[in-house]
Amino acid sequence: MNGYRVLVAVLHKEMLTEWRSRDRVIAMLIFSLLVVVIYHFALPELPSSEVPSTVSGLLWSAYLFAAILGLNRSFSAELENHALTGLAMAPLDRGWIFLGKALANFILLIFIQALTATAFALGFDLDLRSLFLPLAGIFALGAVGITSVGTLFAAIAVRTRNQELLLPLLLLPLLMPILIAATTATRALLLGEPVPGTPVRMLVMADTIFLVLSFICFEYVLDD
Amino acid sequence: MNPPAILVQALEKNYGPVPALRGVDLEVAAGEAIAVLGPNGAGKSTLLNLLSGLTRPDKGTLNVGVGEPCKDRRRARARIGLIGHETFLYPTLTARENLIFAGELYGLANPKQRADELLAEQQLEHAAHRAVKGFSRGMAQRVAIARGLIHDPPILLLDEPFTGLDHSSTEMLCAKLCRIRDAGKTIVLVSHDLALAAKIANQAILLVRGQIVHRCSGQQLTQSHLEQQYRTAVEPRS
Repeated sequence: MNGYRVLVAVLHKEMLTEWRSRDRVIAMLIFSLLVVVIYHFALPELPSSEVPSTVSGLLWSAYLFAAILGLNRSFSAELENHALTGLAMAPLDRGWIFLGKALANFILLIFIQALTATAFALGFDLDLRSLFLPLAGIFALGAVGITSVGTLFAAIAVRTRNQELLLPLLLLPLLMPILIAATTATRALLLGEPVPGTPVRMLVMADTIFLVLSFICFEYVLDD
Repeated sequence: MNPPAILVQALEKNYGPVPALRGVDLEVAAGEAIAVLGPNGAGKSTLLNLLSGLTRPDKGTLNVGVGEPCKDRRRARARIGLIGHETFLYPTLTARENLIFAGELYGLANPKQRADELLAEQQLEHAAHRAVKGFSRGMAQRVAIARGLIHDPPILLLDEPFTGLDHSSTEMLCAKLCRIRDAGKTIVLVSHDLALAAKIANQAILLVRGQIVHRCSGQQLTQSHLEQQYRTAVEPRS
């Protein structure tokens, strides 16, 4: 069976259901923009030398918790009418279902990252236009890590009683290398320094490991 | 002689300390319809989950024509159509979109054409482009049946498919299942409805507390016989 076709079908289904319900993207967006508004008023006199460090931390905090909000809901729709059982019965390598879902979560997170970064730029008077490409690269690398392992753990957590609590508990310790590397790289870029090599290598390595392991493990996650 | 479509031997399944199935043996020939009857908690749905490969047994063997569902998982799943009292449908997608998505999951060459065929068969062409969330229970169940048949499976597992259906929808589904049986597909029907079970199945087993306490087939398989056996086996225990 053609795994790529399944990936595209799952991605299409995810984007279509999200487009019609908009329940994930609205929750993620409201949360992220709220972070910008709160910190804009909480730090009105922030010295310009401290803006890059502060904003890089705030950006990744907003991304992380917005992602957890979205991930928590990404499998909730599968519980309605027990659609998850229908998915589990499909005669294919379930890793392709994982990739379709993870890619949908990645696209949503990238969308939220772009809007939130724009809001931060406006709120903290930052000119990010010249940094667009390297920043987009770091955001994408961070988003791959968060959504790959996040999609796997969202599938595990969805059938538990304390789903909303369990997902961050499982996810946050594993995401530490991604968050440290992404925040470090973002801060360096905002300070006008060149893209640092170590955090980028760390991000690429963590992304690769998380993607491969999640692809393999997803086969067993959908079983009772 | 053809091998049985489903062969289950000494099957056991426990949920923690609670035994759900205890030494179940079952043989279903290809093209046969078997009804699995019993009270709540008897282990009927557990048996169906084991047959579908969604749950692993603690002991015993089960074979759905291609080997054990848990060992040869993908091939076994390709031979099985699962229809439950839950529809497995996405409410915000239309009936046609749901079927096309299911067709893609089963790797059909032309899922759109197959979806249209099944919608016509279920007399749902008029509702093909409506979101499933607006469907009545009967209409949603007809789409669910189409979903279960999307890959034309030789074995159909049905978990209380009549739940929540009105009289006319029940009659329609019953007639449909008889046609599927007559077309040579193997059916495992889990139900509480003894009359419908007698109408559809040509073999029945009565499960009580994880064990088969009665089997019948052929002339013996009537509603009155099932009711009598059900009363004898179930009511003294309840």
